[in-house]
Parts: sequence; C-alpha cells; structure tokens
Amino acid sequence: MTPSPSTPVIPPDWAERLLRAAVRDADWRDAVSGDLREEFAAVASRAGYTAARRWYWRQALPLAARFAAGRLVPALTPPRRRRLAVADIERTSRLGSGWTRELRHAWRALWQRPALSAVIVGTLAVALAANAVIFNLADALYLRPFRFAEVDRLIVVASDTGAGKPYFDRESVAAADFRDWRRTLTTVSHLAALEWWDPNFSGVERPESLHGFLVTPGYFELLGVQPLFGRTFTDDDGRPHATRTVILSHALWLRRFNADPGIVGTTLRLDGTPHEVVGVMPPRFVVPYGSDVWAPIAYDDAAWADRKRDYLLTFGRLADGQTLESARAELEAVVARQAVEFPETNRNRQVTVVSFSRGLGDDAVGPFVAIWQAAAVLLLLIACANVANLLLARGTERQPEFAIRLALGASRLRLALQLLIEGVCLAVLGVAVGTGLASAAITLSRGFLPETVVRFVPGYEYLKLDLATFAAMAALGALATIVFSLVPAVQAARGGPTAPAMSQARASTAPPGRQWLRSLLAGAQVALTIALVVAAALIVGALNRAAYGATGFDRRNLITAQLTLPEAPYKDLDRRRQFTAVVLDRLRALPSVTEAGAATVLPYTNLAASRTLFVEGRPIDDTAPARTVDLQRASPDYLETLRIPVLRGRGLTAGDGAGAPPVALVSQRLADQYFPGDDPIGRRIRVGDDATWITIVGVTGDIVQDWFLGRINPTVYRPLEQDPTLRVMFAARTTGDPLQLAADVQRAVVAADPDQPIEVLASMDEVVRNKVAGINYFAQALTLMSGIALVLALTGMYSLMAYLASRRTREIGVRVALGATRRQVTWLTASRAGRIALGGAAAGVALAVALGQVMQSALFGLITPSALTIAASALTLVVVTVAAGYLPARRAAAQDPWQALRTE
Amino acid sequence: MKPTPYVGEFEYAVLLALLHLEGTEEAYAVPVRALLEQRTGRPVARGALYTALERLETKGCLRSRMGDPTAERGGKAKRYFSVTPLGVKALKAMHASLANLSRGLEAVLEQP
Repeated sequence: MTPSPSTPVIPPDWAERLLRAAVRDADWRDAVSGDLREEFAAVASRAGYTAARRWYWRQALPLAARFAAGRLVPALTPPRRRRLAVADIERTSRLGSGWTRELRHAWRALWQRPALSAVIVGTLAVALAANAVIFNLADALYLRPFRFAEVDRLIVVASDTGAGKPYFDRESVAAADFRDWRRTLTTVSHLAALEWWDPNFSGVERPESLHGFLVTPGYFELLGVQPLFGRTFTDDDGRPHATRTVILSHALWLRRFNADPGIVGTTLRLDGTPHEVVGVMPPRFVVPYGSDVWAPIAYDDAAWADRKRDYLLTFGRLADGQTLESARAELEAVVARQAVEFPETNRNRQVTVVSFSRGLGDDAVGPFVAIWQAAAVLLLLIACANVANLLLARGTERQPEFAIRLALGASRLRLALQLLIEGVCLAVLGVAVGTGLASAAITLSRGFLPETVVRFVPGYEYLKLDLATFAAMAALGALATIVFSLVPAVQAARGGPTAPAMSQARASTAPPGRQWLRSLLAGAQVALTIALVVAAALIVGALNRAAYGATGFDRRNLITAQLTLPEAPYKDLDRRRQFTAVVLDRLRALPSVTEAGAATVLPYTNLAASRTLFVEGRPIDDTAPARTVDLQRASPDYLETLRIPVLRGRGLTAGDGAGAPPVALVSQRLADQYFPGDDPIGRRIRVGDDATWITIVGVTGDIVQDWFLGRINPTVYRPLEQDPTLRVMFAARTTGDPLQLAADVQRAVVAADPDQPIEVLASMDEVVRNKVAGINYFAQALTLMSGIALVLALTGMYSLMAYLASRRTREIGVRVALGATRRQVTWLTASRAGRIALGGAAAGVALAVALGQVMQSALFGLITPSALTIAASALTLVVVTVAAGYLPARRAAAQDPWQALRTE
Repeated sequence: MKPTPYVGEFEYAVLLALLHLEGTEEAYAVPVRALLEQRTGRPVARGALYTALERLETKGCLRSRMGDPTAERGGKAKRYFSVTPLGVKALKAMHASLANLSRGLEAVLEQP
C-alpha cells in the first residue's frame, strides 16, 4: 500500500497521540513528534507505507514510555540529593503534583506482590468481561435492535379480537381495516402492511424455501431505506394483475446470485410464479425477521374488503409532531368507530400501538436481559468485595510503610490517594484483560444460537465488541475501582503515624474493626453467590422441564421434514394428497424406517392453527370464554409414528379418506374441557369457519405443543386426506440414528416434486432443542456466571481465612504451647468461617427468595421457585465455603508450636 | 562564573556533533543522530539523544530555539541547538583531560 505522491503521509494517529500525551514540555512535544514525522516520511518512501507505520509504532512506544516514566527530569537529580528530597516531597508536595511519581509508586507497589496483583486483575477482568458481554446483549437485542434512521418514529399496530391469544399477536390486522386506517389516520404519515411469505424458490438446481414478506408499496419509504441498486415498489406493482416483482436482500444476492450486478430485470420462479427482480437492498437490511425477499401485496378489491381474516403485520411512521400516545388515541377512536360500523366482524376488536423495537422484539428478551444484567451486576459486586478484601489484607501488611510515610510528613489524604491510584492501575489492567475476554466470549456466544432461531432475534447482527460496549466496560471498571479501593484507602488514612509501626513486631491480629469489615465482605460474597446460584438453578430447572420433560410423545429416533407447498401449482386438493402419499410411500419403503406419518404441524414448531370450536346442540355464547382449539390435520399413521396414544374410541385409518364421512379425534384436554363427565365419542363439532359437521371418533393423549407458555392446548385431529393443507410436515421413526436418513428423506420429496424444497430437515430432538435454544442460551450464560461467582466467593473465603490464620500464627503457637489441642485450634479459625458462611447464607436465602419471585413474575410463570432448590443451593454453598475456610485453619494448627512462636 | 560542568562520554559526542552542524539548518535532533551514527558506527537510541540534549541544556552547555513549523513535519517546529561558550569550555576540559590521559600512549593509540 503505497500512497500516491499527492497524498500526505500520515503516521499512525494513536501512536502520535500517545507520544504527544507522554511528552509534557510543549516545545519538546513539537520537536520530538516533528522529528519522528520527518523521518517517517523518509521511511515511508523507502520501505512503503505499511512498514513505515509499523516503524513509527516501534519508535513512538519506547519514546513515550521514556518520557512518561519521567526519566528526563529525575535523572537530573543526583542520587544523594534525591534521597534527601524524599522527605521533602512527602512533606511539601501538593496533591496531584507529579502524577508520574505517584504512578511509579503505585506500579512498584503492585509489582511487589505480583501473584496478588494477578489475582485481582484476573478477578476484575472476568467480572468486567461478563458485564461487557451482557451489556452488549442488552444493547443489541433489547435497547437498539434496529439501527436505521428515525427508528423511534416507527410504530407497530396490532388489532386482535382478544380471543384466546395469550401473547401479543403482531399479525392481526384485517385488510379492509388497514385500508380504512390508511385513508383516515392523520397522526401517522405512512402505513404499510406485511404478510408472511416464505416462497419456494424453484426452477434452479437447488430449490430452496426463502424467508420473506409481501409488503404494500411504500414499505421501504416508510422505513427510510434506499435500495443498494434498482428501485423499490411502485403503486403499479401492487395492482392485482401487474407483473409480479421482487426485491432481494443483500445476503441472498450474494449467496444465490454471486453478487451478479445484472440481476435487476431477470426473472425468478417463486412459488411457481415468475417474479421480476427490481432491486437489491443494502447489506444487513433484513427487516422484518431475517427477510430474503420482499414482493408487493397485490390484492384485488374483494381481498381488500375482507374484515374477517386478520393476518397483516402493520408498520407506521408517526407524522411530524405526533407521538406514540397521540397515534394510539387516534387509532383507538377509529377502531371503536369500526366496531360500531361493522359489528359482525369488528365488535371485539382492540388496537395495540407500540414502538417499533418493542413491537418486533421478542417479549421474552426484556425479562431475560434484565435478569442477566442483574446477575452481571451481582457478579461485579462479588468481585469488588473480593478485591476489597484482598486489598484490605494487603493494606494491613503495608502498615509499616504507611506509618513511616506519615512520620515523614505525608498527609493522610496523600496515602489514600496513593491507594486510589493503585486501584486505578489495577482497574486499567482489568479492563485491558477484560476486553480480550469479552471479545472472545461474544464471538463464542454468537456461535451458540442455531440458525433457525437467529432469524427471530432482531439485533443479532450487532453482537460484537463495539465502542459502546467498551465504554460501558470502562465506566464499570471506574465505578468498581471507587467501590473496592475506597475502603482500604479510608482505612489507610485512619491509621496513626506511629502506633502500627511500633506494635508491628508484636501484633498478632489486625485491629478488630478491620476484621469485622472483612467478615462482612466475605459474608456478602456468600449471600450474593447464593442468589446467583439459585437463579441459575431455577432457569436450568425450567430448561430441563421444557427440553426434557414429559411431552406426551416420543421424540427419540424421529426424522422430520417441514415444508410448504406453493399455492398456485397445488390449487387442486388431489395434487396435495398425491404429494403426501408419494413421500410417505417412499419413506415407508426405507429399510430402517418402521413408521412414517404426515401432519400439518409437528409439536414444538409453534405453527399450530387456532380455530373456534362449535359443539352441536349447544348455543353459541359470545360471552363465554374463548373456545379456541388447535386444529391439526394428520395422516392415519401419524399418531402411531409419534407414539401419541389413542385413549378411547379408534384412531385415524386409511378408510377416513376424501369421500368418507368427516371424522376427528380430540385430545384428552379438549374432552375434559368441552365434554366434562360426558363421552365425546359420537358427538359432532364444527371447527372455525368450516360449515361441515364432524363426528368425534376417538380421544388421544395430550401433548405439550408449546413449552414456553407451558400449555397443553385442546386439539382436534382431522384426517389430512379430508382437509389437505399446503403446509405438510413428515415424521419417520427409525431404528438407528435418524439423521442418517436425511438424504433419503430429501430424495423422497424430490420424487414427489423435484421443485419442492424442504424448509427444515432435522431430527425431532433437534426441533425440540432449537425450540429451547433461547432459554438454553440464557440458562448457560447464567450457569456460567454463577459458576464464576462461586469460584470468586470460594477464593475470597479461602484467602481471608488463610490471611487470618497467618496473622494468628503466633497466637496459635502460644495456645498450642499452653496445651490447646489441634482440634481446638482448628476450631478457633474454622468456626469463624462457619459463622461468616451461615450469616451470608441467611442473607442469601432472603435474597434468593425475593429473586425467585421476581423471576417468576418476569418469565411468564416459566420459573417455579422451589424451597428445595434454595435450601440445596444455600447448604452447598455453606459447606464449600466452610471447607475453603477449614483448609487454612488446619494448616495453621498443624505447624510446630516453637516454629510458630519464632515466626515474626 | 559558573563552574565548568562535567560532560559524560555520550554528551561529549553530542556536543562534538553539534559543533559540526553549528550555523547550518541541520543543528537539530534528526541530523545529529544521523551524524553520530555515521561517524561512530553505532546505533543511537532516540530517547537517549533527547535525554542527553535536555541534560546538556540544563547544565548550560547548550542553548535551544524553536524554528518555524514546516509541512513535512506535520506542522511541527524544529528545536535547534547551539553550543554555548560554557559548552565549548566543558568540551575543551573533557578533551584536555582525555589528551592528558592519552599522552605517552601515542604508540598504542595511533597504530593502524
């Protein structure tokens, strides 16, 4: 890299800044940096720019170190005079004068005890790194998941009927309502509707299911995003019979089209229909939900007049001068008016208006991040307590030094300042090491979330060590410094000039006040650690229930394939039936497959369709609680394949074909809820808008469809043959490792339709694991943090006890010499560890109970705090901390009393 | 009248180099270092040179003035040095003491 003669050769900015900061004299500063620049130009023309920059760093660093160390000035003082000047300095120098000298002192003090300093720096680095990682997660996933211009002016509007939706349903606006809003709203300048659209990309060698959305023209303008090249959608693209157009994401353009610059104007087959590419979006724009493609919504008048089907996701941009509240007020008024105007469809409709980040974010992220953040702060507090304790011990050791300096005339404030500077040095080192740790941890954590989940994590692309994260870490480091070095500093400032120095020779224990403080710090560590361990245990318990708990079906040895047939070529229901039949036949023909079945949705895919249930002979009562059930369509072998038991009546059979009388199975939960004390078999039901009366022929066992809500949904199983859906999922039970069949499953699908991609091909175990990946990630992070806390608390207790035991060596010697037994002497020190641990545990249990309650309310009842968990955690911690305190006590008691008495 | 300061070996070399460059536009750190390295055949640490210059100035052997900022130095001025009469005196003293010491050793010292 050689610059052209016209470009000025600039040395590395940071190196020059460093150098200029190090040289205090202004004339010298100009002379030195000017000299280096002059030679830099010469080196650059000789060896090239890159080499010259390296050269500059090599020159600047030692120079800066030399100037910073202040060797220039003190070297002028002859050694003899310098020694005389020390007392002078202690007595006369003002605070803050001669910072380099203070720094040198601090540096030397730290190097005197390298192991201690390393432990402190390591403790700080780990705690700060944990905080940095959590801050980064909070910032990327929760605080600023979307980073385009004026994102705070954007809103998400949802409008559901409130029936049976335990969560915030974003895709809940009906087309006609949307059109009315767009016409009437004044508080919102742009309004765009989006419809899920995961098209099958075919007509190529490797068909693939893409993620995308149908959007109303104006969508990109609403977000304020320009295409990288090409154009966005015009109103003409949104007319019903216009040429279908599509816009690609940057990632898809790179991945599937090798960044072909001539892509605009070409045609892709999506869901069997040709789409003309009109534009490519800039890198990293994947809004919403990791979209690969966007196409215009092109409804005809009939579709736009629909007020019943509510599936649109709606974004808006606030008009100038309007706020979220004013938009909410206007929308509430409009929706109330619609409820009166269209009572049949809109009577129960409500509107929810939220900010863009809240609307698109996962509801669970907020509480997760809050708990993480709390855990990280606890960890930092534990680390601070630990470091403060170590520094206190060190302060006692250094009392002679302080006493001498006080005697020489140093002010107490100076001594305190000296300790603060030492604290700052430690913190700077801690931040430096912590930065490296945090960077590695963030990189690792990125790889932890599976691809299928990442799509639904807005802000995932911002998970990296950025400036904000570093700044947060440095700020926390500064805060920690104040916390942990203040106590020893105050202690040092309080001591008298002579008393400790004189009594040092005889001192057997530290002053009582200080011991009390140390015990408090150690106890606080125990308490905070118990809280953290309990939090982690609760989450891990919830995770285990979710991932490995009873699901009502057998998830082992199942290979599954999820796919969606495109609508246009599969308009004919017989084609759908045929597709399913061919795939199932092929699967069954595989030698290691014992059973194979198909259904609209598999458990743990969270795609179940909710429908209203009508029971024959019962009046429709709109005031009754929601009669929402899951509608499942399954092939005859499906229940058998998943090992879902048929409890009463019969299962689905091949006889329940297209022409046969409509039948259904219901789950136990449904039977209990809608036919209490009654036999549902033989009764007839209607599901959703379908007018067909269906006869119940059997009752199945319940399965857990959704771990997160912890709900067992009442479910209706209809024969897939009688109601073939576009979404089909296959499951095959195998005798060996299910993943070995992946290629065979692929071939089975290709045999049925070579253009048909598989969206997800995974074992059932993987499907479940992916489903719990979020909470797993969360649990792992908390477990790691509580593990670190535990180690810190143990080292804290151990070092405190070791220190106390060493201070009491003499006392122990006297006691043993006077006839005390080993056991009594051990008890002397160990009992203290026991008292600290018990006191800490009492406080920790109180903290843990409170924390458990907060977590329970924050995490939607996912967490069930159990007294057993808390008691077990507290007991474990007491035992291990007492053990950590016992070891040094035993060592102290084991020594030879005469040896101990001679020890000074 | 100040007492004649004592200059060390490296300071002696720096003073000599500055005398060579005196009156030219070259009497600042970069050419001094180049000259020292060229004539003595030994690398000269940048920091050591600045230390010596500063020390000599404090002893009163050198006087310095700031030149005009130039573009090639990134707008930074040069610090020009000149040897003071006291510096010449110190140099002479050092030279004389070395000469005294080496008197009678010509046979050894001036062999090729």
